[in-house]
Parts: sequence; C-alpha cells; structure tokens
Amino acid sequence: MSTLPVKQNSKPFLSPLHSAAALVPRLSSPLFVARTLKVLAASDHGYYVFESELADVIPVVKTSIAGTRIVGRLCAGNKNGLLLPHTTTDQELQHLRNSLPDHVVVQRIDERLSALGNCISCNDHVALTHPDLDRETEELIADVLGVEVFRQTIAGNIVVGSYCAFSNRGGLVHPHTSVEDLDELSTLLQVPLVAGTVNRGSEVIAAGMTVNDWTAFCGSDTTATELSVIESVFKLREAQPSSIVDEMRKSLIDTYV
Amino acid sequence: MRLEKCWFCSSTVYPGHGIQFVRNDAKIFRFCRSKCHKNFKMKRNPRKVKWTKAYRRLHGKDMTQDSTFEFERKRNRPERYDRNVAEKTLIAIKKIDKIRVAREARHHKMRMKGKQAIERQAALTELEKSIDLVKAPASLLQESQITPKIKVKVADTQPQVEHMEE
Repeated sequence: MSTLPVKQNSKPFLSPLHSAAALVPRLSSPLFVARTLKVLAASDHGYYVFESELADVIPVVKTSIAGTRIVGRLCAGNKNGLLLPHTTTDQELQHLRNSLPDHVVVQRIDERLSALGNCISCNDHVALTHPDLDRETEELIADVLGVEVFRQTIAGNIVVGSYCAFSNRGGLVHPHTSVEDLDELSTLLQVPLVAGTVNRGSEVIAAGMTVNDWTAFCGSDTTATELSVIESVFKLREAQPSSIVDEMRKSLIDTYV
Repeated sequence: MRLEKCWFCSSTVYPGHGIQFVRNDAKIFRFCRSKCHKNFKMKRNPRKVKWTKAYRRLHGKDMTQDSTFEFERKRNRPERYDRNVAEKTLIAIKKIDKIRVAREARHHKMRMKGKQAIERQAALTELEKSIDLVKAPASLLQESQITPKIKVKVADTQPQVEHMEE
C-alpha cells in the first residue's frame, strides 16, 4: 500500500467528505515547494496520514480558516498564490503568510461566496469558477493565481470547485458530464479529462479526493476501479514518490526552518 | 480577535459586546450596542442621525481626510512577520494616535475660531436693543440728564513753609 502513488485512507471510520474535504493540494510544478494545508484539530486522523506520507517531501502546515477545520473547501490556490475568504482571521492570515514561501501571494478576498474551494477549481494555468463570482474577484484570481479564468458549469452544477478536481496533468469531473461538455472543458483546460466518481459512486469529486502533480489522496470508500481511473487520468502510475522527490530535491528552493 | 467598527455610529466594538447581523446578501452589519441596532432596525440613515460619526464627518464637524486615517485601513495581503518591523509598528501606532488627536483638536479649534467675537457682538446688540428688560426707561432718562463730572487738573503749588517767628 505504501508504494502506491494513490493513497487510500486506511482508517475505516472516516467518511468520504471528512477525509479529503479538509485538504487542499498545493501545486505542482517540480520547481515549487508544494505545501499542503492541514486540518488543525488534533482529533482528526486524516492529518496523521498526510503527515506520514508527505512530511519528508513537502512541508505540512497546520492551520484553520475562519476558525474551522474545513480548509480545503474554503480556500483555493496554486503555485503562485493562495486565496482566502473574508472570514479568515488576521492571525490565521499571518500564520499562513509566515509558513508559505515568499513567492506565494496570500490574499484575502471580500466575496459574497466565501467557500472559495467550492467556487474555484484551478491548476497552475487555468481556473474554472462559479459563474456568479464578482468581477473584482475574477480579476483578483487572474492576478494572484496567475491563471486564465473561465466561468463554467459542470454537468449543470454551478459549484465547479466541488464537482471537479484537476491538476496540471489531468482532471476528473462529475460523472454526469456529457461528452460535448467534456470535450469543451478539455480544450479550455488543455488537460485530458475523465468523468468519474470517487468514494463508491460519490459525484462530489473534490470532496472525496485531493490531487497534485505527483500524488493523490482519496477517501477510504474509493473502490479499486475508481482508483485505477484516477491513477490513469492523473498519470500517477509511473510516478513513485521517492523518484520524484529525488528529482525535486535539487530544485527545491525553500529554506527549512 | 479583531476590533471592528459599529456600522451605525462607527465606534469600536470590543469582544463580548454588540450584535452582528448577517443579511441575505451576505453583508455583515456590526453594532456596538442595542441603541445602534434598534436605530438600524428602524431603517434610520446614520448620515442623518446627529450623534453618529457618519453625520459629523459629512457635516464637517469632524476631520474627514487625513493621512493618519490611511494607517488604519484593513489590509488583505499580509507581509511576513518581522520582529523589528513589529516593534517599530507598535511605537508608530502610539505616535500616530497622538498626532491624530492633536490634529483633531486643531480642527475643532479652527472650527470654533471667531466664535468669541461673534458672541460678544451679539451680546452688545442685544444689550442695546433689550436694555428695557433690565432698566426702567425713567432711570435711563435720568442717567442721560445728569451731567457727568468734569475732572480739572490743578497746578501744583508749593506749600508755604511757615517759619516759626522767633
């Protein structure tokens, strides 16, 4: 199990939403030091899984957003920046700013739709957003994350951040996305897309898994079929964490405090 | 913990005080006490309610534009924590407060300037017009008929020294 690039959370009592909804994948280009935001509560078992898997590869940062533990659904980020809702407290903002490298812009946004993880889905080049986002927010996204922003719906759902998950290599979307929609999205995002499910048929993809360029974490209910689909679309099969890390280590620019 | 401003009167709301109202369009209204909250529920416009900061600013009673206000803006893009900067900021906060208070006092003084002269002039005109409230007209007439005492300067004469006749 430990050699698979896709980790299944082995704790049986974790609900699908609980396991990956709390996390956000930090980027992906090998030059960037990927960080993963973690859940603050010590009682959360998912934290230990992440720490055990990722702690030697990338720094793991414990935080809360707006005093809650659902960090993954509230914020959106990539290698260029991190966007936070207006409910983020000043102390949390400062903590994040101190823990992340300087080239990552940490920005708090005044936006009516404050669950940014559910409204924005992005990789390093492109972002899909909720169609009802403000114009200023859209400009901020383009500015802070350095991406091209597209207002889209996925399978008729406006909450794009929760119904799709994509990285620089591939993407997984809501199972009921039609073929034409899939093609359109694929050309927009410039990555191969697949309509699939996670956590035994759950349509809410981003709530059940979290992914970056070289690894993915899924909820414990994910079936083997779903796992194989995820591995193939995100091209994780050949990628072994150790080999990637060795490659990355030379170009890691961060200073370990 | 963050010290917010009351939406109605603009005073600071400390932790443990006040009410926060979230409208359906996700706009948050914070009130420092029930007085402001009740006024809001009555749909009163703070710009028309005399004791609020909004009214005072709008009508020029309080300072509106000043560079010291720029320091208190809410910032959404934090900077990495630097101990020296933090130390200097704390000192600066005290100094800026002092300067702001001094400027507000000066603004008030400028606003009240010329008030004494106007008051004195108004008092004089009132005195002339309504003197009959104080003194009876008959006494006024008597006063005008009495010739004023004239002072005459007397030449200084040397006192004759009386010698004792021997």
